[in-house]
Amino acid sequence: MRARGMWPRHAALLVVCAIMLVPFYWVVKTSLTGENIYAYPPRLLPQAPHLFNYVDVWYLIPFPRYLLNSVIVSLLAVGGNIVLNALAAYALTRAFPGRRWVVLLLLSCMLIPFQATIIPAYLITARLGLLNSWLGLALPMLSTIVCIFVFKAAFEAVPRSLIDAARMDGLGDLRILARVLLPLCKPAIATNVILSFIWSWNNFMWPLIVTRDPLMQTLPLGLARFLSYVEDTTGALYAFVVMVLVPGLAVFLMAQKEFMRGLTAGATKG
Amino acid sequence: MYQRTRPVRRLQNRFVLVPLVLAVLVAAWNLYVALHAHGVVAGRVVEADGRPAAGATVILYERDFITQNERGRTTTGPDGGFRFNGNASHLVQLQARQGALRSARVTLRLWFRAQDARLAQPLRLGPG
Repeated sequence: MRARGMWPRHAALLVVCAIMLVPFYWVVKTSLTGENIYAYPPRLLPQAPHLFNYVDVWYLIPFPRYLLNSVIVSLLAVGGNIVLNALAAYALTRAFPGRRWVVLLLLSCMLIPFQATIIPAYLITARLGLLNSWLGLALPMLSTIVCIFVFKAAFEAVPRSLIDAARMDGLGDLRILARVLLPLCKPAIATNVILSFIWSWNNFMWPLIVTRDPLMQTLPLGLARFLSYVEDTTGALYAFVVMVLVPGLAVFLMAQKEFMRGLTAGATKG
Repeated sequence: MYQRTRPVRRLQNRFVLVPLVLAVLVAAWNLYVALHAHGVVAGRVVEADGRPAAGATVILYERDFITQNERGRTTTGPDGGFRFNGNASHLVQLQARQGALRSARVTLRLWFRAQDARLAQPLRLGPG
């Protein structure tokens, strides 16, 4: 009875889902056919679909190299985020003089757009000799403030008595973090992985600035380059978009349960 | 017993299994590519009435970013058959010529570079 009464709500949700998925469907459909996206009347179903546009993308530009660059940079960013954010968040859960000010400083830094810090970030990267390198590409993404607070909320949800017990058993801070807190905060780790991966994967501005060699470019830069090189390749262009999207989607789908839990951790008490 | 099985169980999750399956698929695909990438492109040329066209010239064009560049020529045998070796592209066009006659350019899309391929339909010579 109750389920029958829910159908208007489910129908409305289905319609909203369909509307939100239409752009993705159109991208995939165009990648399979190469149809003009402005054709009128638009065709809902693909005509004579094929996968050769994906083959064109793979070979017409150095796609494997762009993919390798993006994967390495994203892995560096994910690793850096997990290690550095966990350390920073653990420090912020401890009592020390000025902790409140540090939290306030971090929160206020979130208001500064990345574009405003690009010049100092570039100069620092240049001084370190990391321009045009994988580490240089990942450097500004190695730690993000939002993810520090995700870890902090998760750590604060762990009972204090558990940490005190570990300390009485002789564990130091690093081992408490690694052996007690992190295993209990898998949703926060998943959230860090997904957010840092997607931000790094989609990053356009920073790689555009620090790369000099075309072979050090990442996929978003490759997409822009592809667009400027190749004419009349709507299908291949959309195939490229799908190939850039798929790894991020795969990571999200694999960790979505933990991701949702991690984002809502600390949202409720008790 | 529990201690011995635990490391294996730890690996049985989607974060390990999905990349593992992908790695196996990629390895299998690369093996298939390695076994079928000799760059052979073969086919037949026929006259307008369907008879084999012996001694016709077949030209292979390879696609650059926006242009088709000639990469090779060969001559058909008595049965109208032709064969190119060493094609390195994944997207080629073929055209046959004989005197004033010529065929339409046929595009051959391949799944990978240097894939061995045979034209499904023969190149048909006509007035051009």
